[in-house]
Amino acid sequence: MATAPTPGQDGSQQAPSRIQDTSLGAEKLSADVLSSSPAAGPAVKGPPPEKPSNVRRRSLVILSFWAIVLCLGLPIWWLTTTIYRAPLPLDTMLRWADGKACRPVFPLHISVEASSLQEQEAQNLLRLTQHALDDLNDVASHHLRLQLAPRDNAPTAPDGDADPDDKSPVVLTVRLTPGQSTQASLHPHSPILDITYPPTAIPSPTSSSSSLASYIANELLSTYAEERTIISYLLSKFPAASEPRPNGLSAEAAESLSKRTTRSLRYSPTYHLTFSLFTSGAVPNTWDIERAIQDYMQPLLDVLGPVHNFTMDTQIQLYATPGAQSDVLSKDDLASFINAAEWPLSPSIGGAPTINFLLFIGNQTVGLDSASVPDTTSEAAHSWLIPKWGTVYLQPLSPSASHVTSSDLKQPMLTFAGHLLSLLGTPETGSLPLRLSTLGRIRSADLLLRASSTLGSLARLSRALPSISIPRSVADGVAKTIHHLELACTHLGDLEGLVHARIAEAEAERAFFEKSMVGQLYFPDEHKVAVYLPLLGPIGVPLVMGLINEIKAWRKRRRERAAAAEKKDL
Amino acid sequence: MRHLLAFICLLPLVSWVTAADYYEQLNLRPLPLSALLASFNFRSNTSFYDFESHNFRYFPRSLGQILQHAGTRELHLRFSLGRWDAESWGTRPWEGQREGGTGVELWAWLESESDEEADEKWLILTNALSGLFCASLNFVDGTRTTRPVMSFQPEGDHPTSSIPNLRLLHGVLPKEVVCTENLTPFLKLLPCKGKVGVSTLLDGHKLFDSAYQSMAIDVKPICPEDGDCVLEIEQTIDMVLDIERSQRPQEIPRPPPSRDLKCDTSKPYHAPNTCFPLGYNASQEWSLSQVFGHPMKGTCPLTDPEIPPVCIQVPHSRSVYTSAGVHQMKNADGRSRCFTFDSEGDFDIILPAPDADDTGEIIANTTTTMTTTDDELIKSPTPLIYAERSLMGHGQERGGVQTILTNPSQDTEVEFIYMESLPWFMRVYLHTLNARLEGSRGKAQPAMIEDIYYRPAVDRARGTQLELRMRIPPASTVFLTYDFEKTILRYTEYPPDANRGFDVAAAVITTVRPRVQSVRTTTLLLNLPVPDFSMPYNVIIFTSTAIALAFGGMYNILVRRLVAADEAPSRLARAKLGKLIEKFRSRKSTRK
Repeated sequence: MATAPTPGQDGSQQAPSRIQDTSLGAEKLSADVLSSSPAAGPAVKGPPPEKPSNVRRRSLVILSFWAIVLCLGLPIWWLTTTIYRAPLPLDTMLRWADGKACRPVFPLHISVEASSLQEQEAQNLLRLTQHALDDLNDVASHHLRLQLAPRDNAPTAPDGDADPDDKSPVVLTVRLTPGQSTQASLHPHSPILDITYPPTAIPSPTSSSSSLASYIANELLSTYAEERTIISYLLSKFPAASEPRPNGLSAEAAESLSKRTTRSLRYSPTYHLTFSLFTSGAVPNTWDIERAIQDYMQPLLDVLGPVHNFTMDTQIQLYATPGAQSDVLSKDDLASFINAAEWPLSPSIGGAPTINFLLFIGNQTVGLDSASVPDTTSEAAHSWLIPKWGTVYLQPLSPSASHVTSSDLKQPMLTFAGHLLSLLGTPETGSLPLRLSTLGRIRSADLLLRASSTLGSLARLSRALPSISIPRSVADGVAKTIHHLELACTHLGDLEGLVHARIAEAEAERAFFEKSMVGQLYFPDEHKVAVYLPLLGPIGVPLVMGLINEIKAWRKRRRERAAAAEKKDL
Repeated sequence: MRHLLAFICLLPLVSWVTAADYYEQLNLRPLPLSALLASFNFRSNTSFYDFESHNFRYFPRSLGQILQHAGTRELHLRFSLGRWDAESWGTRPWEGQREGGTGVELWAWLESESDEEADEKWLILTNALSGLFCASLNFVDGTRTTRPVMSFQPEGDHPTSSIPNLRLLHGVLPKEVVCTENLTPFLKLLPCKGKVGVSTLLDGHKLFDSAYQSMAIDVKPICPEDGDCVLEIEQTIDMVLDIERSQRPQEIPRPPPSRDLKCDTSKPYHAPNTCFPLGYNASQEWSLSQVFGHPMKGTCPLTDPEIPPVCIQVPHSRSVYTSAGVHQMKNADGRSRCFTFDSEGDFDIILPAPDADDTGEIIANTTTTMTTTDDELIKSPTPLIYAERSLMGHGQERGGVQTILTNPSQDTEVEFIYMESLPWFMRVYLHTLNARLEGSRGKAQPAMIEDIYYRPAVDRARGTQLELRMRIPPASTVFLTYDFEKTILRYTEYPPDANRGFDVAAAVITTVRPRVQSVRTTTLLLNLPVPDFSMPYNVIIFTSTAIALAFGGMYNILVRRLVAADEAPSRLARAKLGKLIEKFRSRKSTRK
């Protein structure tokens, strides 16, 4: 490579001198033949006048050379060196990224069961409650829509607000039962809100406001308060111009929400759970993990079944020294406790992200000032959560115990279960079924926004780097992403939306991380000069000089002709 | 018949499996020329139920999930460095069954319905193992993968129903340099993690300083006749230490002062200023802490306390000193003794030089002659076959390979399988394959190649695979030769530093009769014709010049006008003309 420039220079220098040589040779050769020329003066002998046919032929030769260069050479060069860039719908992609293409709306259908009320009364109560809800709700994308549950005997028409063809499933049932006072309680195992009301609280058909209606509305809003803040937080992170910034979201709440979102893992349909027993000595080296998982973990995993699948493995690691040795672990120690260099905690192979649950047998405790951790309980002094990674639980055990029983594992397992929910990004309040259905909606919103922002990045990337090649597969991926994003946008709020958002996100990531785009060759412009110059120099110089001479000669001829014509006229 | 033989030979191995789930032992065997063979052996078992339900205890999880993901039923992985000097050291440890060719060698039985599926699983396996062991195993691609037909037999007890679906794939990386980064993950797989027990003696500085070392990982199912099937992982390290080298101080080496030189005084030219160094076989005193850098720390409590962790093979006539807490047990065979340890503490074993012994007889022997090794060392049995391989041929194109196989036995015929997997850029001419027999009895007879399995190479897709079943009569030597052609590769196919040459994997020799033994030759360094790597620019410039010449000539002939020399506007004439024009103009302007 070092020798390359020298021959290049030689070539470019050689070419013009060679032209001169040939012309000199020609002069000598033809000296005798054309010795007598009529135009030659006594001092300076000029060349004889050329035949017009020769002049025309030379012009044609030069023209045809240039025609070949321009019509054949340039297109071939262009075709062979151009970079393939599949057409991308850049504007659509940017519209998605800006949030203009889809306005995420989560219509939640809440059915009201009021079997003890008259049809008319119930309709009226429903109407009033809906009004109260609409007045109170400040997040435009989060709609609560009430509908009357079909009665046993007669099918009831849904109330006026709901679309008649909307088949979205009911997420919550409000059961109204007459009772002594106004009370509300959430059913712990099914999505039912029980509300009792005194018989006097039924609004009359003419009244425009009712205390019961506003009470129900408040209860419903507070049930979904957390979901609303999370969704509005998610939407506010993206430049969705259509979404007015909710005034209810304080900086503090936003911070805690951002903490929670950074803590949770990326969405994946399958997670791999690794339960590890680490001990610094040789004992304990057996544990009753299978039974403990069956007893304390499996019920939760079964409930999470519709949203996620789980695979599991367990391991025992002896003679493991933690990265932090002190008996009371400070906050800095927690970060270095995992001895990443020595502990075999490699993630599982296969696509599923790994969540690690680590049980460390040792007498260490976590010493934190309670101000930094608001929910410090006795259990928190033994365990901590590592964002996007898993949980560590410190379990003191007598040094001679060689077996960890299932009952010893109860507390760690329950902690792991709780941390699993928060690692998955489940909201913290409400009953479990409600939290899980909220999880699905949060995840689909998150995936939707993530896929949109990936699309936007891809669009900006392809605009910023004009020399990057865009293979056809990227264009296909983008088309698929947009198709699934549209489907997800229309089905937001139910399981189908989640499925589409998941596909869209995967396709967008695949398109963005296309291998041939990532590994762009570094080919600086100096190299191009080194490649082109040896050819273009020796060929380009005679071509261009020939063209210039020809143009000069042509202009001269034209001038002469004009002068001749002038003379004639005179 | 072959299966049966293999089975019989593996029987002792199988019967070694103990009831405990973890087993570790270090076998020390002093070798001639002041060398010491240290064989570490670690075995852990897991029941099939635990393995299937992903509950890992002593079996490493990281390896277990790779095996499950890649459908691997039996796995053999080798990291080797150096050369086993069979002429002086005798038979290889474990009959060569735990040895690999220089570099990394991997073979595995994968359960799959079709060859394509097996290839996919093999890709997963090599990629995952490459991450786990920090080795370039992901470069074991189609060109380095073979499917041996005769050389390898499964060691594990596979259920008869799954045997038709087991596919053997074998890959070698001869260029890989084994080093500390491969030892660290190896130690991580052990339940005691190199923190206590025999494994504390494993130190990268000593292991990779040895004359020969081989790390092996073998995973195989084992079904004892009474009891449930278990999956066993066996980790083996064999290293041959040079005792003198390993005892040198950890500072810049300097030549010893002349009074410390051990000279052979029997030489006629021996004088105070000339010294012929005495051979290494003068035995030296050594201790565990000296050769391994530090003493052994404790014992791994997971093992069966009945099994001694350290054994040493020296005659009972030699005395061995131990530190406190070590108990010596002499074995009945008179050739070896074992040591048990208390559970805590640092332990050391010292083998004094024989002349420091009380018996005056040995002192007399060592000082006068060098033939006393029988009293000092246990003599290793002679291997069934000696093999060496070298490159022949001439020039940049013609190459040849010669393998010399010797049967040292005086009365036993050896039957074996010779396997080579050659890279595709060695184009083997199989018709030149020739086996020439030279018996010690003087009468030349045709060597007996009984069977040939040959799978020719496909350029850039797969390498040559050659398996020969051969037989050598007693006390004779076979010269196996074949020619090949060296290929010119494409510009981008040359590795960095192409002038170093290309490594050719070791040939694997597996004896079938009288017993199964495995021998590997050294790797070869093949020199291929290497181009000048500034070639692309030279090509560009050369062709450009040629095109420019042709074009310039043609263009000028077409465009230039031919005139007489005196008619051409010469430079001088042009200058005069310019002056004339100027004069003319000035006159014109003055006239105006």
